Amino acid sequence: MVWGTIIAAYLFLAGLSAGAFLTSSYISRKYPKAVTVRMTGRLISPALMGIGLLLLIVDAEAGLKNPLRFIYLFTNFNSVMTIGTYFISFFMLAAFYVALMELLKKDVNKWVEYIGIVFAIGTAIYTGFLIGVIATVPLWNTAILPILFVVSALSTGIAGTLLVSGIVNKQVVHQVISVKKIHLSLLAVEVFLIFTMFLITSTSNEAAAESVSSLIIGEYSMIFWIALIAVGLLLPIVIESLELINARKMSQTVEGLQVAAAGSHSIAGTLVTETSVLIGGFTLRYLLLAAAVPIAFL
Amino acid sequence: MARYGMMIDTRKCVGCYACRVSCQMQNELPVEVSFIKFHEIETGVFPNVKNEIIPVQCQHCEDAPCESVCPTKATYTTEDGIVLVDPEKCIGCKYCMVACPYQARTQDHLTGVVEKCRFCVDLVAEGKQPACVSTCISTARIFGDLDDPNSEISKAIVKYNAKPLREDLGKTKIYYVR
Repeated sequence: MVWGTIIAAYLFLAGLSAGAFLTSSYISRKYPKAVTVRMTGRLISPALMGIGLLLLIVDAEAGLKNPLRFIYLFTNFNSVMTIGTYFISFFMLAAFYVALMELLKKDVNKWVEYIGIVFAIGTAIYTGFLIGVIATVPLWNTAILPILFVVSALSTGIAGTLLVSGIVNKQVVHQVISVKKIHLSLLAVEVFLIFTMFLITSTSNEAAAESVSSLIIGEYSMIFWIALIAVGLLLPIVIESLELINARKMSQTVEGLQVAAAGSHSIAGTLVTETSVLIGGFTLRYLLLAAAVPIAFL
Repeated sequence: MARYGMMIDTRKCVGCYACRVSCQMQNELPVEVSFIKFHEIETGVFPNVKNEIIPVQCQHCEDAPCESVCPTKATYTTEDGIVLVDPEKCIGCKYCMVACPYQARTQDHLTGVVEKCRFCVDLVAEGKQPACVSTCISTARIFGDLDDPNSEISKAIVKYNAKPLREDLGKTKIYYVR
């Protein structure tokens, strides 16, 4: 493993940060009253990206020892990493500005936020392209990988935002039911994308087949089935579905409406769901890096 | 301007590792780091089997994948076709190590800079042969200008029908006789 746990954590945090920014932008338009959720998304986004970038700097040893060299990162436009550096720079500037305005309780300039939205999407996509363009590793070298990373970025972004919001104020989570619906469909799409990717790519060549079998039946199968599929995807799908059914029932009865209005119902479901989605998001990146088998050249 | 390349005759290679040691000395590498890696594979069907020893180092690809992914332009190709790393520009992100089809790159654990075979540019500039070539006990290695049809290497490649390790992974400048 040339790229290990540190890079997996970075890819996870970059996606999570971009997803949280997009979630807060959506919330600010759809639910102007859900201030806690919007604030949370806007504040955690630049903070998590900052942690991710610190991890990157620590991993790039030669740069860590000679920090001025990081300026060269902007020079090779043939490299996805250079493109990503631009995306992250613009995204971070916008995310910092938005977070600062939130803290100062000032209005956010909507054009800066639009720029932030564009580069948040760019950041999420780039993390997929970064490893997707590596022809040497067939497991990564598929067109579906960047899409999978974007879906996972949105899903972890929603999870991170709702988890922190729920801890801060447990009533707010029930204000944003449509986000929960979006979240549920993202998780279902993710399951579909993972299995599509594995099924198609394992037929392309030996190295790809080796990667896929190490994930589903080999060395990494325990982590794959338990941490990613069971905990990271199926568990949140089940709980989220039950929550949505419950929310519909509550809106149809007088007692339910009273409970909802009082905000006295539990948010245990939300806490479990969002935590497990975050576990799944990190596990996905970790497994894709760990199970990378290069093409045999002999 | 030349286009430097190498031919390695694996039928002559006895696996003595002399090339690796001379490379480590020339490039002042620690014992555990080497630019040349030895692969041993069995080919054929019983009873007609053979054991092949294949020394692998940077293949100095044309349109090198390591060069195109390098975000800082630390990896570059000289006018003579040699792929090099500028240690003053490398940040150690290891993107090149991930992209290299031959896993020919290593990271210096003191500086964090990623390194690899340099075709001994300094020796070649003085008109000498790379260290691995001049030290090889069985003359399994030939170095020279691929663009000169009269060079020893060009003639040998034609004579022995030498080929890159995997032509489908892109053009390289190291040819193997197997």
